[in-house]
Amino acid sequence: MNQKYIKRLLGIIAKKPILYTYGSTFSSVSDKYLNIFTIESLRNAYSDNSHPVGFGSLFVPYEMLHALEITPFPPEVMAGFTAGLGIASQTIKQSASNWYSQDLCTFHRSASGALELDVFPKPDFILATNLACDAAQKSFYIYSKKYGIEKNFYLIDVPYHYSKESLQYLTGQLKNIYMDISSKTGREPDYSKFREIISLSNEFRNWAVKVNDLRKDLTEYPPYFNALNYILPFHVLPGTEKAVTLYKHMYRELKKYLAIQQGKNGSKGNLPKRILWLHLKPYYKSEIFDILKKENCIVVFEEINYVYWPELDPLKPFESLAKKMLSHFLGGKIDNRVKVILDIAREYKIDGAVLFSHWGCRQSNGGARIIKDSLKKLGIPTLVIDGDCVDRNNSSHGQIKTRMQGFLEILNSKT
Amino acid sequence: MMQDNKNSDSPDLLKSKINDVQSFFKNTLSSLDKRPLIGWFCTYTPEELIIAGGFTPLRIMGSKKIVKSESYFPINFCPYIKSSWDSLLSDMSNLKALVFTNSCDGMRRLYDTANTYLKKIPSHLLDVPRLRGEDSTAFFRVNLAHMKRFIENTAGVKIREKEIAEAVLLINKKRRLLEKFSLIFKKFPRHIYISTYYRIMELSMTSEAQVFIDELEKYLKFIEDSAGQNKTISETDRGSIPGIMVIGNFITEEKLWDMLSSMKLRVASDDLCISSRYFIKLVDKDGSTDILTSLARRYLNKSPCMRMADLGLKLKEIENTIIENSIEGIIFISLKFCDTVLYSFPLLKERFNQMGIPVLYLEMEYNNFSEGQLKTRIQAFLEML
Repeated sequence: MNQKYIKRLLGIIAKKPILYTYGSTFSSVSDKYLNIFTIESLRNAYSDNSHPVGFGSLFVPYEMLHALEITPFPPEVMAGFTAGLGIASQTIKQSASNWYSQDLCTFHRSASGALELDVFPKPDFILATNLACDAAQKSFYIYSKKYGIEKNFYLIDVPYHYSKESLQYLTGQLKNIYMDISSKTGREPDYSKFREIISLSNEFRNWAVKVNDLRKDLTEYPPYFNALNYILPFHVLPGTEKAVTLYKHMYRELKKYLAIQQGKNGSKGNLPKRILWLHLKPYYKSEIFDILKKENCIVVFEEINYVYWPELDPLKPFESLAKKMLSHFLGGKIDNRVKVILDIAREYKIDGAVLFSHWGCRQSNGGARIIKDSLKKLGIPTLVIDGDCVDRNNSSHGQIKTRMQGFLEILNSKT
Repeated sequence: MMQDNKNSDSPDLLKSKINDVQSFFKNTLSSLDKRPLIGWFCTYTPEELIIAGGFTPLRIMGSKKIVKSESYFPINFCPYIKSSWDSLLSDMSNLKALVFTNSCDGMRRLYDTANTYLKKIPSHLLDVPRLRGEDSTAFFRVNLAHMKRFIENTAGVKIREKEIAEAVLLINKKRRLLEKFSLIFKKFPRHIYISTYYRIMELSMTSEAQVFIDELEKYLKFIEDSAGQNKTISETDRGSIPGIMVIGNFITEEKLWDMLSSMKLRVASDDLCISSRYFIKLVDKDGSTDILTSLARRYLNKSPCMRMADLGLKLKEIENTIIENSIEGIIFISLKFCDTVLYSFPLLKERFNQMGIPVLYLEMEYNNFSEGQLKTRIQAFLEML
């Protein structure tokens, strides 16, 4: 598999009739739009030569790329796809032969391997941030060297504390990056377009908040729906019509399910145990969620879907995006993350939390003990699962199963 | 007296004197006994502000064994951080405060852990930008002002500019002496053991500055006098020993340095945060800028850690060092799970290949490695050179 092959494949399946026929095979409307928009986004990154391609790490403000009409391509999200497509063992092996230590995060190793194997489209710009993660800023710089575009590599240095000065420092960086890319692409800065993008991002945000509010009461979901699959629209597509459409449909679909659920509520029966999911999940086929379902547990919320930022001001795009980045609960003290987790725990009335401790993710795993102790004070048990989101060979499935069963027994023994 | 040097000293006796750190640094070794200390971890921490507040800066080196930390951090977590946490949980009665930096994800979580489970010791996190330039300097200056306030609150006194200026002079003097020592070490590799060099480097970060400076001056004078008077020690003694550059992070493994000392190699240069990245570059106080800005400039523009944004700059710096010191081989040695350093290796390796410089890649736990296996690998590497 290389980019030529992928380009050809996407060229075929991204044609409207085929794409929408493919979309209609999904039993959930949300999943249908997720898949259609993902394929269209990828097709643009691989085939649309009229716009530059920009690699971005997960927490960069993609609104800025949309405003600059740069087609975004998120290598970390694509690393999740390598797991789903079953090629992660190849990409990870390739990264090892390029001297990436096996102790490093597999999202970044797999992405690096995919890049070496020519699976990714060639970028014109690369944006990374230190927000939450050390690995992205380093691996993305290496990508820029590989493609010989170090001068088009931008690290967005997000300060640790949220203060007047840090907001100013970050706002200045975003503005400089925007101006530099504008000048390199020979475009005049288009602030009216930027305002539109910011308004769309706000619209997406409003729908995402509505979805999250609705989920506080929801326990009946469309078949195969898993909100941990929505990383791309939640992080990469804000500022586009696609993100708005998707979350609008998601809201309507989940509302229908809530109505069905409320219709059944005459007999409350055996209510499911409510789980909060922390960090990410395995993106290869895993039985974790089957086990939860079998044991009458439901993931009521995932921290990655938490809307952590305030509404953006279209008249102050750079400052608004800086505020968005500085508001992220994975930045700064662990207390920021703990506060969000405890708020979710109360609002979603959770019975237990599962923290998927992805191999090599120091920022998340390093805080596991504090998170566990904080939830314990509310009487909520936490299961920390050591595993790997990308490399199935780096997860002990038997051990995970045993630990989950033990945890679920504890949960079920609580009345 | 060990410090007396005589023409008549046999080479072995002279060597043994030069490497007797205990004798030369007697006062340094006992300098911390009753002083109020502020612990620090990363070379981006300005010791000058700690000294100006009336404290002695102490770099936390970590305990030899990791026991208690295992229940606080995952298995695949930086061993320096874990060993530091172990040492903080042990007796640290002289520690009045801790200053952390946002050097990396691991260090941020260590700060959180200290803040949560070790509330009796006040702690502060100094936000260090990853970019260089005027905006970053101005922003870092603000953060240094926050750190200064934290020290003032801990001390219960106001820090005056004069006190910072005095501390700058003191630490600049230490830096100059360490640089001189590193040049002398390169000049006389057969007489100064690698283990001695790194032991003294460690002392420079874990002792009272003035006491250390006094003893280091005497020590360097002794070596210079010996070189002047005694024909058994001379610059030409490098002979055919291959010049190695050691690149890595927080490597304080005594057994490793002892092992390297016993092998046919010389450390002609290094890029480590317990050595060159600590002392290279002085604070330039020219009087036209305020002292915090001078400090901000020095720390942001010092020999960079791989945490900084511009890895290209780091590559260039290493490349220049290789050429200037006629390096014949690289030993890249990293603590396990150190993302910032491990991610730099693919780039470094590619560059070394282009330059035709062989490199030995080592990853190790903290104070825990297989001596025999490592020795075999290093020997095989040296034979290749």
